Amino acid sequence: MNLTVQIGNLKLANPVTVASGTFGHAEKYFDLEEVKKLGAIIPKTVTLYPREGNPPPRIIETASGMLNAIGIENPGADIFIKEKLPAFRKIGVPLIISILGHSDEEFVKLAEKFSAAGGVAAFELNLSCPNLQQKTLVAQDAAATARVVAAVKRISKVPVIAKLSPNVTDISEIALHAEGAGADAVSLVNTFTAMAVDVKKRKSVLGNFSGGLSGPAIKPIALYMVYQTAKRIKIPVIGIGGIMTPKDALEFLIAGATMVAVGTANYLNPKAPLEILEGIQEYMTANKIKDIKEIIGSLKEK
Amino acid sequence: MARSVGPGQFVHIKVTESLEPFFRRPFSVFRAKKQVEVLYEAVGKGTVALAKREPGEYLDILGPLGNQFCLPPKGTKQVVMIGGGIGVAPLMVLSDFLAKEKCEKILLYGARSKGHVFDLKDFKKNGCKVFVATDDGSYGVHGRVSELFNKIKTDPQTTAIYTCGPKPMMAAVKKFSEQNKLNCQASCEEVMACALGACLGCSIKTTKGYRTTCYDGPVFDIKEVIF
Repeated sequence: MNLTVQIGNLKLANPVTVASGTFGHAEKYFDLEEVKKLGAIIPKTVTLYPREGNPPPRIIETASGMLNAIGIENPGADIFIKEKLPAFRKIGVPLIISILGHSDEEFVKLAEKFSAAGGVAAFELNLSCPNLQQKTLVAQDAAATARVVAAVKRISKVPVIAKLSPNVTDISEIALHAEGAGADAVSLVNTFTAMAVDVKKRKSVLGNFSGGLSGPAIKPIALYMVYQTAKRIKIPVIGIGGIMTPKDALEFLIAGATMVAVGTANYLNPKAPLEILEGIQEYMTANKIKDIKEIIGSLKEK
Repeated sequence: MARSVGPGQFVHIKVTESLEPFFRRPFSVFRAKKQVEVLYEAVGKGTVALAKREPGEYLDILGPLGNQFCLPPKGTKQVVMIGGGIGVAPLMVLSDFLAKEKCEKILLYGARSKGHVFDLKDFKKNGCKVFVATDDGSYGVHGRVSELFNKIKTDPQTTAIYTCGPKPMMAAVKKFSEQNKLNCQASCEEVMACALGACLGCSIKTTKGYRTTCYDGPVFDIKEVIF
């Protein structure tokens, strides 16, 4: 059975990874032999300088999902490289480093730092975090998206993935610009900007006021966005959005995703990514499919 | 699991088999002798759902998770446990770990009213003196648990305080322990998603910046916690 997929020149053992910010402390809680089975690991987004994150409450559950407004809490690139990167490298699974800059120069500096540190298989550009209290996001602006992608592409020797926000009129249009600027893949979707109200206090629940909705609640919308985008571009799409089960993952693959990233499901079931990988394999065996590429984009439109 | 539980640790329970409620629920381990026990009051969506589960049903449980209470150092003469409401749970397992300690052990317990006072006889079995305060005076001393702080020996060298309960109560404990320079460990709680230190959703403000209650905690030096 061939499960390998390719992002730019990067070959991955299988199409299952974890969405940024949803996988942590592998060394303490997980059987490393199990984690090694993942196609890739995407750690939580790293910024050039440390970020404290948003005031609590940072999360709240919703119907079939959750809101989060963590605020990209991270120790900054230097400390991440020194203290966290070695443990991630040790896992032995290709590492896709998610980076977020507050300017094109910061994105470039981040890519340079991680390139110098070594052991990075690809970069994912977080262009779509809705929690930074800016009026627009890079991912809401096709030209800005293309500019950042091109800047990082100029200096990166490893593939560059643009992570896109669903909070736009037409996500496939942004994807097209990312592709035009040289992106090796796009990943979608990030969370949907949303809120919850505390009716006693008549205030927004989240400390940051608004947050991002994720989980099964967004899956059908994310799936349609992946379908629309995969149809329009030639580079691979990494499908993200409420994937909880092998069936969810298969839906994304059939709709055109080359890979899937499991996010919120990790919070309910830390073994979800591995169970999803096993489920995909079972589906392939049951349907006598020898190569995952026979599934990817195999949706019958009529 | 019971054998691997340390005092102050918690378990993360999927209370239903459906996606409603969406998050697992964290519960401090209450007892960990032959089996793991948790203490809860069916008040919210999660606990009400858990209360509907039948004896003998299997529950999906992650744990034990989080750090632990540091047991009192040698030379401790008085261990003070201060619990409010259901927050008494981690103090019970702590008192089990301290059952053989010869030093004086006291539990100061606060509850809303007589009907909310939890059965505290197992604390007594573990050699603890128990003092109770209720908000309405229907049982024990009338008032907040702070009315019982006069039972605490204020010697920084030989007194160790452990607390878990509502935030205003723990803020009062913080103030008292700082005024008297007493060592105090607090078990903190927040809404949690992953409980594994991944999502950073359950962070609380501390003097060292935001810290996760699931991974850096739930037990913190009360001096560090900003209530």
